[in-house]
Amino acid sequence: MLNIKTIDDTTINERVYQLNLGPQHPSTHGVLHLLLKLDGEVVVAAEPIVGYSHRGHEKMAENRIWEQFLPNTSRIDYLSGLIYNQGYCMALEKLCGIEVPERAEYIRVITSELNRISSHLLGIMAFVMDIGAFTPFLYGFDDREHVLDLLERVTGSRLTYCYNRFGGVRNDIDQEFCDGTRRFIDRLRGRFKDYHNLITENIIFIKRTREVGIITEETALEFGVTGPSLRGSGVNYDVRKNEPYSVYPEFDFEIPVRKEGDVMARYQVRMAEMEQSMNIIEQALDNLPQGPVRSHVPRFIDPPAGDIYFAFESARGAVGYYIVSDGTRIPYRIKVRTPSFSNLFVLTRILPGNFIADAIATLGSIDVVVPEIDR
Amino acid sequence: MGPLSEFKKYILEILTGSKSLVIGMGITFKRLFMPIVTVQYPRRKLTMTPNFRGHIEAIYFDDTKSHHCVACGLCVRTCPSHVIKVQGEKEKAGERKYGQKYYIDFTKCSLCGLCVDVCPEKTLTFSHEYELAYLSRWDGVIDIMRRLEAVTK
Ligand code: SF4
Ligand code: SF4
Repeated sequence: MLNIKTIDDTTINERVYQLNLGPQHPSTHGVLHLLLKLDGEVVVAAEPIVGYSHRGHEKMAENRIWEQFLPNTSRIDYLSGLIYNQGYCMALEKLCGIEVPERAEYIRVITSELNRISSHLLGIMAFVMDIGAFTPFLYGFDDREHVLDLLERVTGSRLTYCYNRFGGVRNDIDQEFCDGTRRFIDRLRGRFKDYHNLITENIIFIKRTREVGIITEETALEFGVTGPSLRGSGVNYDVRKNEPYSVYPEFDFEIPVRKEGDVMARYQVRMAEMEQSMNIIEQALDNLPQGPVRSHVPRFIDPPAGDIYFAFESARGAVGYYIVSDGTRIPYRIKVRTPSFSNLFVLTRILPGNFIADAIATLGSIDVVVPEIDR
Repeated sequence: MGPLSEFKKYILEILTGSKSLVIGMGITFKRLFMPIVTVQYPRRKLTMTPNFRGHIEAIYFDDTKSHHCVACGLCVRTCPSHVIKVQGEKEKAGERKYGQKYYIDFTKCSLCGLCVDVCPEKTLTFSHEYELAYLSRWDGVIDIMRRLEAVTK
């Protein structure tokens, strides 16, 4: 049984002070609401309150045709929208048995990994800003700008992409995009030295993150934590390696894992993951096959009756689409399993007993996206 | 561990810590002499890439001296945000319809591109318009046919 401490625990005495961290607190992300019980500066209990940005995506899916859900997918997790976009298309392609041209798969991987880099850059920099460093945030956004420019070049949008289509992608990439991506990778590799000097080796950062907010392996597995937060706790699990999809098996990359489980470990995993993403993109650009980018699919698809679960790795962890079709043009049910929800609730276990300043660092290191929690 | 080595460790930590701060400041200082990365917007404008998605617009074709829309309504039905309105007329009975009025409420468009993809006549595309500040929500309703006329004149 899960041992979640809730706020109305009768064991808490009157000395306890209740703090609403969010939904408008400057150091929370989006409209996240954390109800903290404090004894002095020590957190006694933490309870995330969700639902402030619930938009009912799953219900919306039930009254539109399959294609019309495409723009919704990139708005579930707005920071890694392309990965969700890709996952939804791949789920339906599996259900309908649609073949995807190889070039399209490579383009999907390249764009998704670029999206992962942009998401990690924002995640890390917003986290670093949460614990007081403003300069790296601006440098990170400078780099992120280049990713967004590259993605805008192919997808036409900068944040809420709608680029993947059933059976491929909407338009081909050009030589300028390939060259630009290589230039960007070289640039980011050079910038990593600055980031390590600015953040990783900064004494204030080290003091605030080492041995803070430790998620043990057991706790992580118990709460269903996935993504960099799980790999920071010493579990080597990544959907891209463990249940490979798309063309990921063709690439040579590693899954960074850290044993410590603290805030620093999660940060290091994200940094290392960006380097691995760059490796994947380079390999994909080297081996980019020629050919069409979209196979022939009917204008409106009619999937056969049946259900399917498709898992993939977004920037925050394992995402799953559970899709039920009753054989019509309208989905019967689309359930989205989002990683931020599970990752957030691990706070109920790890925050009690820690200082409130560490709570902010822990929250930032988990890197939740609020609309993804509520959907 | 004796008290002396404890003390040594403490001093060493202070020294390495200060060094890391100085290195960090060095990076920020170096930045002072690097080129500016921002664009001074109203004075300098960026050109949009060919794939940039502004609001949709009709393509001009030379053979009809106008667009190719036949008012089939496919884009209206595919739009997930229900923002398109099309009206067509027939000049003579038995002839094809021809799109007369085409409005889109851009304030609610999700820029998915499904309308562009679905059009059987391939007469839709994305504009490169990005300066879209309005004073009223009705200013966001764009008359695409009028836009096309303004472009062709
Ligand atoms: S881009 Fe999408 S939301 Fe916008 S008008 Fe076209 S179909 Fe509708
Ligand atoms: S789908 Fe194309 S032809 Fe049909 S109404 Fe829309 S713009 Fe006109």
